[in-house]
Amino acid sequence: MSDRDEELEIQALQRELDDAFATTRPRTGFEDELWLRMQSRRPLGSRIREAFAGLVQGVREVPAVPLASVAAVLVVVIGVGIFAFSGIGRGPKATSSEGAGLSLNAGSGGNPTSAVGSFGHLPSPVRAGPGSPQASSGALNPSAPLPAGADYAGPVTLTWAGQLNITISSAPVFRYSEPTTDTADQFASSLGAALERRPAGFLGLYTASDYTLTVRGTIESPPQAPAYFLLTSPSMADIAAAGAQPADIAALFLTEHRLAPQWPYTSAVDGSADQVKVYFQRQFDAPGYGLAYLVDGTGNRLGLEVDLNGSHPVRAIGPLPVSIESAPYPIISADQAVQIAVKPSAAANPVAPAATVQLTSAELVYTLVAAGDHSFYEPAYLFSGSFQVNGVTYEKRVLVPAVAP
Amino acid sequence: MVADRPPFEDLYRDFLGRIYAYVRAQVSTAADAEDITAQVFMNAYQAYARFEARNTTPAAWLFRIARNATLDHFRAHGRRERLRRTIEHQPQAEEDPASAAEDRIQYRALLTHVALLPERQRDAISLRHSGLSFEEVGVLMDCSEDAAKMLYHRALKALKESVRKEEA
Repeated sequence: MSDRDEELEIQALQRELDDAFATTRPRTGFEDELWLRMQSRRPLGSRIREAFAGLVQGVREVPAVPLASVAAVLVVVIGVGIFAFSGIGRGPKATSSEGAGLSLNAGSGGNPTSAVGSFGHLPSPVRAGPGSPQASSGALNPSAPLPAGADYAGPVTLTWAGQLNITISSAPVFRYSEPTTDTADQFASSLGAALERRPAGFLGLYTASDYTLTVRGTIESPPQAPAYFLLTSPSMADIAAAGAQPADIAALFLTEHRLAPQWPYTSAVDGSADQVKVYFQRQFDAPGYGLAYLVDGTGNRLGLEVDLNGSHPVRAIGPLPVSIESAPYPIISADQAVQIAVKPSAAANPVAPAATVQLTSAELVYTLVAAGDHSFYEPAYLFSGSFQVNGVTYEKRVLVPAVAP
Repeated sequence: MVADRPPFEDLYRDFLGRIYAYVRAQVSTAADAEDITAQVFMNAYQAYARFEARNTTPAAWLFRIARNATLDHFRAHGRRERLRRTIEHQPQAEEDPASAAEDRIQYRALLTHVALLPERQRDAISLRHSGLSFEEVGVLMDCSEDAAKMLYHRALKALKESVRKEEA
């Protein structure tokens, strides 16, 4: 290896470390909890004095979480943006024009907020790097697995060769408030589970006669919606449905436990023999377009997962039911989305030759944008196309935020 | 002088994430990182009245507290045993869903390599990529700025080799 190559590898490693440290942050809610703990340990006298002296405004009772979250979003986006080259092959780290797998093209400027609707300015989606641990599996964030070869790390040049007939000029943005322990307790209670304890990082751990249930809030990076995790015990009865297919068994199980999705979905099955995962892929209704899938930062569809061992339910992982409100926001046109999708990144790597990838399909999807007290499901355009390098087929996905800047 | 001192809440807001990341790069679970981070800011909050900005930067002051708290943690819990468990990917006695969720944090694998470096190399990388200058890193590690640079670059090479070996 030449000194030049070694130097490039070291630089890539430094960028990777910058991103690693910039994106490693405590769970949602930790900042608030710790600040309140610190406040509660202050001497009572000083708190009273401050109250009387009108200094309360100078002592932040609760950190400004939404602002902090937006700042975190900025850090991540910028961090991703500088990821132009990696010679140590740790999976794709690329933005739009470097790596296969998924890229999130935010257009020019990197503006972290979007158009003003009734929810005000919206934070922009944050990309989760394909091949990163949190993006590649569905254990806690149910999604279909990445397609084979999606972790191609080399540079690519994108072109558009498909048809994108999306004509709507606005689409709903969905918002929910961060669930509390009360929310989790009510949910568990509705299922018949009783609170056992509150593990760190979770809203609660509950038990019923034949399962345990854990509930957590939103995770900001990579964004994951509030979720429940139901693990059955051996005493859980098999689902008696002779001749039923796994999707039917899973649906029956969910219905019996009052967990049937209250949102539109399509189902998909992964696995063979007795070990099967059934995915209920969540959709949002976008008037004028139809149903749009919820996807994660890699473009994988999200929703609810039920793992089966034959007709025995092993676990279910799904979104915690929360109250959702919606507001229409203007979105960019299909043509604008295409331009953004294929636009070369300013951080493109000029050293290595790029494979040419034709993006051939696109659809409207929704992505979660975690933002502290309130989080959003925002529309986005998801482009995809497959290509071959050295006889191996890869898939490239590009996610373009749809809400107009 | 009090005038030189920013409000503690500003420090808290600016440094909580960075301190957490620094600690997280060294310990094996998110729960431990939270505990240590909490201890850091509890200690800092109590000691802030004695902080003098003319002697050190707030960053160096906070990271010194974080470094000491992390070392205390290792003394109390046995770093070797915890690292061995990390290396061998041995399951915890009780599956911790918080830990499982946290394992999905981006670049977790890279930070695991950092955690396995010798202590001073690990510290040099963690402090530097937490945003400290080489001068601050040197002060914290009781060496000169140039020595801190050399240590950091040696640590980078060691990290690169560690990553390469695993990929091979």
